[in-house]
Amino acid sequence: MRPIRIALTKGRLEKDTVAVLEKLGYDCEELHNKGRRLILHIPGANMEVVLAKAADVITYVEHGVCDMGVVGKDTIMEHGGSFFEVADLGFGRCRFALAVKKGEDFYSGYAEKTIATKYPNVTRLFFAEKSMDIRVIKIEGSVELAPLLGLSDGIVDIVETGTTLKENGLEIQEEVAPISARLIVNIASMKMRKKELEPIISQIQSAVTEAP
Amino acid sequence: MIKNRLITPEGTRDLLFEDCIARRKVESAIKEVLIPRGFAEVITPALEFYDVFCGEHDGIPQEEMYKLTDQKGRLLAVKPDLTMPIARLAATRLKDHPLPLRLYYNQNAYRITPALSGRSDEVDQIGIELIGSGTRRADLEVIVTAIEAMSQATSQEFRLELGHSGIFGTLVEALELNEIQTEEIRSLIESKNYPALVDRLERMPNQQAAHALGQLPALFGGEEVLDTLSQLIQLPKIEEIVVYLRSILSDLEKLGLLGQVTLDLGIVNRNDYYTGIVFQGYLEGAGDVVLNGGRYDRLLSHYGADLPAIGFAINVDAVARMARSQMQFQLLPDVLVYAYPGYEVKALQEIDKLIRTGFRAEFCVCETSDEAKAYAIKKGVPNIYLVKDDILEVRV
Repeated sequence: MRPIRIALTKGRLEKDTVAVLEKLGYDCEELHNKGRRLILHIPGANMEVVLAKAADVITYVEHGVCDMGVVGKDTIMEHGGSFFEVADLGFGRCRFALAVKKGEDFYSGYAEKTIATKYPNVTRLFFAEKSMDIRVIKIEGSVELAPLLGLSDGIVDIVETGTTLKENGLEIQEEVAPISARLIVNIASMKMRKKELEPIISQIQSAVTEAP
Repeated sequence: MIKNRLITPEGTRDLLFEDCIARRKVESAIKEVLIPRGFAEVITPALEFYDVFCGEHDGIPQEEMYKLTDQKGRLLAVKPDLTMPIARLAATRLKDHPLPLRLYYNQNAYRITPALSGRSDEVDQIGIELIGSGTRRADLEVIVTAIEAMSQATSQEFRLELGHSGIFGTLVEALELNEIQTEEIRSLIESKNYPALVDRLERMPNQQAAHALGQLPALFGGEEVLDTLSQLIQLPKIEEIVVYLRSILSDLEKLGLLGQVTLDLGIVNRNDYYTGIVFQGYLEGAGDVVLNGGRYDRLLSHYGADLPAIGFAINVDAVARMARSQMQFQLLPDVLVYAYPGYEVKALQEIDKLIRTGFRAEFCVCETSDEAKAYAIKKGVPNIYLVKDDILEVRV
């Protein structure tokens, strides 16, 4: 049987996850000297690490070619999919927020409102729950520009410290949802490889709850 | 639209040769389990009125249905589910038939799946419905049939997980949750989202029930999860279900089937479709559920017949995809039979003879023997018969 495969979101979440794995005693040498390789071994454990972009982590786990994955709640909310979300890893903390130009009230008046965002699904769902019709415009880069240029009335985006917002004359009107890294597991793997996966999952769970 | 002339719509595909053989083999292996057990086939139309599929609680989400209209402008759906049309059929044309009804089907179901997800919109399914009996015997029979069908369909490792929709239902009742809260918690349990679930349940008044609900996603495995559940909460209804599941497991053990069966008390299907025992099948290598089943005692009342029922459906495509790697295929003929001009009739007679003795023989449509040899080499046919007054056998 193939080794347990865990997909990590490249970048910061990858580093934080590797730190957790090392704390648990896994040998992550290859992950520090990976070069351009995308599949990496953990010697001594029947485990492989795959590095991928956030949304692809979900795709690989959903299709069962990876058994587990580490991905941000932001990506889970935007892409959805069917998998088990078994642990909040506590790192990669930030939030989705609705931001507007300083001093403005997004909800005033009855005119149709426009939101610029990289996360159209999160945005639609948020306003659908408020029974509000919203025009959503998808932006790929710095969404802060859109309200400044008059394209939108506000933005829905990930906010960490709020510095970018402040420097561009925007402020948070409302929090949409908190975000952090999650451990996800393929549905069939959880059942077919329970004996191998369960100890890993509970180790990771306890490692992250111990952390301050 | 000329630009779409050469491709198939997203979510659909052409099946070629080995794929077809694998699909048909899986289908017939399963049918050989169902038919001798008294299940009779029904075929319902590919198009049904949209109304068949929209119920207040257990309908199919409308964005998942392919819809069109009939000549009178009434809304139709390309069948997204095979059980609902059968429930309609059982409640109407079969309403005076002796009960229980043992029906099986093997048809395609169509669902709109998310774009670019690599999923199929068209899925070949085989399943049974045992309608008109709400007994433990019926549950046991259907579960045993599901296991037998899967083990005949594939040599791959297979697992059936049992659960019971009454566990979730009872706990939710004890907590007096409204519909929106129930759905929220149900979806958290379904996705085994422990962190959010625990967070959500912390504020609930009935702490024992809330705690038990919070543990549900972790309660999968062997019979020991029933002990855990009994320790977590003492409610007469839950105890009844525990005793019930134990008795099913004990019978499966006597049948020697326990090796393929585990429990998942966190199986909580969307909506109110299932009302009792529920089960899901997993196959090694397939990333998703390949078999879905359970008791649905309220569905038929939507169609005017208040009958209990239980059934399951197997995703034939997913099983065939896994089974294919274990199969051997013989697609080439053993012999290519070429007739020199004027000997076509003799060649056709020879083919008939060869086929009756168990060979695969292809009649060669080439005009000359050289063309015939070239074709045999290109295709990889091992032997050629050159038919004249006598027959010359040539190894290619």
